[in-house]
Amino acid sequence: MSKPSDLVQGTLDLLILKMVALEPLNGWAISLRLKALSSDVLQVSDGSLYPALHKLEQRGLIDAEWRTTENNRRAKFYSITRTGRKHLREEVKSWDRLSAAITGVIRLQEN
Amino acid sequence: MRFLKLRSLFRRAVVEQEMDDELRYHIEELTEQLRRRGMSHADAHTEAMRAIGGLERRREEIRETRRVNHIENFLADVKYAVRRLVRTPGFTIVSIITLALGLGANTAIFTVVNRVLLRPLAYQDPDRLVVPNGTVAAGDYLDWRAHNRTFDGIGAAEWWSPTLYGNDRPEQITALHVTSDIFDVLGVPPLLGRVPRADEEHDGANRVVVLGYNSWQKRFHGDSGVIGRTMSFDGIAYSVIGVMPPSFHFAPYWATSAELWSPLVLEHRTTDRSGSSLRVFGRVKDGVSTAQARADLASIVTGVDDAHSAWAKRLALVPLRSMVVEDVDSQLRILQAAVVILLLIACANVAHLQLMRAAAGERESAVRLALGASSGRVVQQSMIESAVLCVTGAAIGLALGYAAVRMFVRYAPPGLPLLDRIALDVRVFLVLAVCTLVAAALCGLVPALRLGRVRVGDAMRAGRGTNDTPRRRQIRHALVVSEFAMTFVLLAGAGLVLRSFSAMLRVDPGFDAVNTVQMEIGLKGSSHAAVEQRAPFFAELVTRVRQAPGVQSAALTNHIPIVGDHWPFPFAIEGRPIPRAGAGPRALFRIATPGYFGTMGMTIREGRDLSDDDARSSAHVVVVNEAMARTHWPNESPIGKRLTVDGVANDAVWFTVVGIVSDVRQNKWTDVPAAEMYFPYLPGRANDSTSTLVSFLHPNQMTLVVKTSSPSAAIPAVSDVVRDMDRDAVVANASTMATIVAAQFVQPRFYLWLVGSFAVVALALAAVGIYGVISYSVAQRTRELGIRAALGANRGDSLALVIKQGLLLAGIGGMLGLIIAVVAMRFAQALLVGVEPTDPVTLAASTAVITAVAVAASYVPALKAARVDPVVALRAD
Repeated sequence: MSKPSDLVQGTLDLLILKMVALEPLNGWAISLRLKALSSDVLQVSDGSLYPALHKLEQRGLIDAEWRTTENNRRAKFYSITRTGRKHLREEVKSWDRLSAAITGVIRLQEN
Repeated sequence: MRFLKLRSLFRRAVVEQEMDDELRYHIEELTEQLRRRGMSHADAHTEAMRAIGGLERRREEIRETRRVNHIENFLADVKYAVRRLVRTPGFTIVSIITLALGLGANTAIFTVVNRVLLRPLAYQDPDRLVVPNGTVAAGDYLDWRAHNRTFDGIGAAEWWSPTLYGNDRPEQITALHVTSDIFDVLGVPPLLGRVPRADEEHDGANRVVVLGYNSWQKRFHGDSGVIGRTMSFDGIAYSVIGVMPPSFHFAPYWATSAELWSPLVLEHRTTDRSGSSLRVFGRVKDGVSTAQARADLASIVTGVDDAHSAWAKRLALVPLRSMVVEDVDSQLRILQAAVVILLLIACANVAHLQLMRAAAGERESAVRLALGASSGRVVQQSMIESAVLCVTGAAIGLALGYAAVRMFVRYAPPGLPLLDRIALDVRVFLVLAVCTLVAAALCGLVPALRLGRVRVGDAMRAGRGTNDTPRRRQIRHALVVSEFAMTFVLLAGAGLVLRSFSAMLRVDPGFDAVNTVQMEIGLKGSSHAAVEQRAPFFAELVTRVRQAPGVQSAALTNHIPIVGDHWPFPFAIEGRPIPRAGAGPRALFRIATPGYFGTMGMTIREGRDLSDDDARSSAHVVVVNEAMARTHWPNESPIGKRLTVDGVANDAVWFTVVGIVSDVRQNKWTDVPAAEMYFPYLPGRANDSTSTLVSFLHPNQMTLVVKTSSPSAAIPAVSDVVRDMDRDAVVANASTMATIVAAQFVQPRFYLWLVGSFAVVALALAAVGIYGVISYSVAQRTRELGIRAALGANRGDSLALVIKQGLLLAGIGGMLGLIIAVVAMRFAQALLVGVEPTDPVTLAASTAVITAVAVAASYVPALKAARVDPVVALRAD
């Protein structure tokens, strides 16, 4: 698994935010879901997930809390904050614009 | 989970634990998942760990994101630095001591220099205060005061030694008559009461005094009701009108112990232009240069007469500050230079210790670099280590400096001006801080930069053991060579001062200080004060004192050598061409009773001593000293020739030279003796109004010198004799001549001690430096030495090899130092008396000391080299 590039790193933040916006999750669950939802297309190394999570926590976009899971284990659960939601909205808009622009270019018909 | 950043800082362990738990949870879940897919537990675990991608790395990454930026980084580095330093106590202690010594000495000397040379005098705007070189006559001063155009104010002061009555015994005190302008010129308002006014400078109105702060404390115990109280000086009642604040001292030179001030009455001396006894202090106007002021004053007195014109040409105005620090200035500057040299040596030492340490720590740094630390962090780490060393060294140095200053004040000779008010201050601390920073930068930068550029591969290569490049060796050797050069300079300097001091000790004072006591006897205010009663009183006194037990001889003089006055009086020799006024010969004016020379241990070289017959018959005779005879009668004997001190007027009284006496040291121990003429004590006649010298040969104050077998008992015994004869006669300043002579050596001895200490410290530092370099070199050359031993070199050879290396370094350093010393010592010429700056004995001795130190410091590493077991050495791969 290659080290995520800057583009993917920023996107990773976006994905994480969206995940925890839907419901509070711990790191392991986020990694599972990402693999599941993106059909394994998005190769996110397990290792790079945690630094990203902590950075988001540092920036105040997500909150963390220790909870007990169903199988009585303690894990750190992350949930989105108000600031996080705002940031998510803006990032999604940004992503849409970017994606539309790229699509616009690559869909150009060859003459 | 708010306040994450603060939590990070304070609950470090908890946070670390949580981080671990989180990662571990993930790993366990992943392991579980892989196991369910069919992997063995061990394989699953390995795969999970691999997926995480390096546990430590992730931890570090997480830590990086959580880091409370620089503060935590910094604190971590500091802690790490401290740990590293503690692990190598030898290096750490040596470095800290080296820095502390260098910086501590700097602080102490800078404090003193700061206080004495840089800090202003405690007057208002002291840079505008100037004084003429030499004393001034009343008439000339008054002219200056009336006609100057360049001064805001110009005041005069004159010695006043009144006898204070009112205690159990009369006491002679040191005071000054001052014009009221003085207080304006100095600009310091009184603490209590007021200062004298101009209208009090007249007979009758001048019975007022202003007390100095110490005088007020001592005599009135700080009583605030002192204003209006009376003090009795010479039998006259003076009223206290004011007290000056504690920081006020006047005069700052010449009459430094004056304790109170009274108006100077000049109304009868307006035409007196020949007796010069006033010291003048002026404040030049804003914007006026000293040169302009000088020209102004010179123009006022030129043209009065020829003597004055000549004087006007010689007149110079000196800033008051220069007069105050005159003697000490060059000494302090040289000490300052010595201290800077010491600091440089200390820095060189620490720098090169750092270099060695950095080289040793290269492997560790390489590992850290490989593990992911940025090279910036590595450099930062090294700099922080240097900074910790320097800050610790500086803190200890500050404490050392403080203690040194206290000791300095306690033991310093009384000659140093402004000394009682010295305490460590902010400016000094700033200087020290700057020194520290520069030291830290110098010491840490080079090795740090090198570390950052370490090539990981090279450093990690196991074996070889030597990462020593020729470049590094050169730098280390250069450091040691420079240390030795500077040490040589300090050694040579100390040696010269020592030689100068011992030359001073060997000076023959010209008199016998052993078993001789002296005391001033003053008759003013006593019942024998009248002119015609003095001679009989003194004659009787001498007779009685001679009969006291233990006394071998006794006599009187007006001024004893060394501490007596040294004003030269002009005189004229009969038959010689009349000299231009102001340009004629001068000699010190002395009065002596018969037997004075014998009592003092002086020898009559030719002719005879003054005798009782001379006094009885009022014969006009004089005895001159050898210096005077040599200067003015170089090819003939002065015996029988005549001279006069009165101007060549019609009623001049001529004195016949009857004897030549040996020279004595006068004001400064190290000065060449000046011409002296000794007149007899002649009885005075009441109502004698002539103004020739004869009428002044019976002062009411003389110094009694007594040769006795028991000096300590003699002083009280003789005092009793005096008081028996006249209860109101004042006995003052009694001491042995030996004490007076010893006092001459206090300051030079202290200075010698200071310079000597520097040299010793420098030597120690240089020795440490060379020890370090040679040890390290030996360690680096272990393989080579092993090979040599295997090839047949014996222990002696190895020993010699290493010691030769040490000697070579010291030798080069010494030669460099020699050149520098020879050049530099020329500047210190003024301080060295009796010895040349290029004194071969000193230079040879310094060379010998340096060589010995180099050999001694190389010896231990050399022993290690000699004991290298070839088998072990060759195996050290």
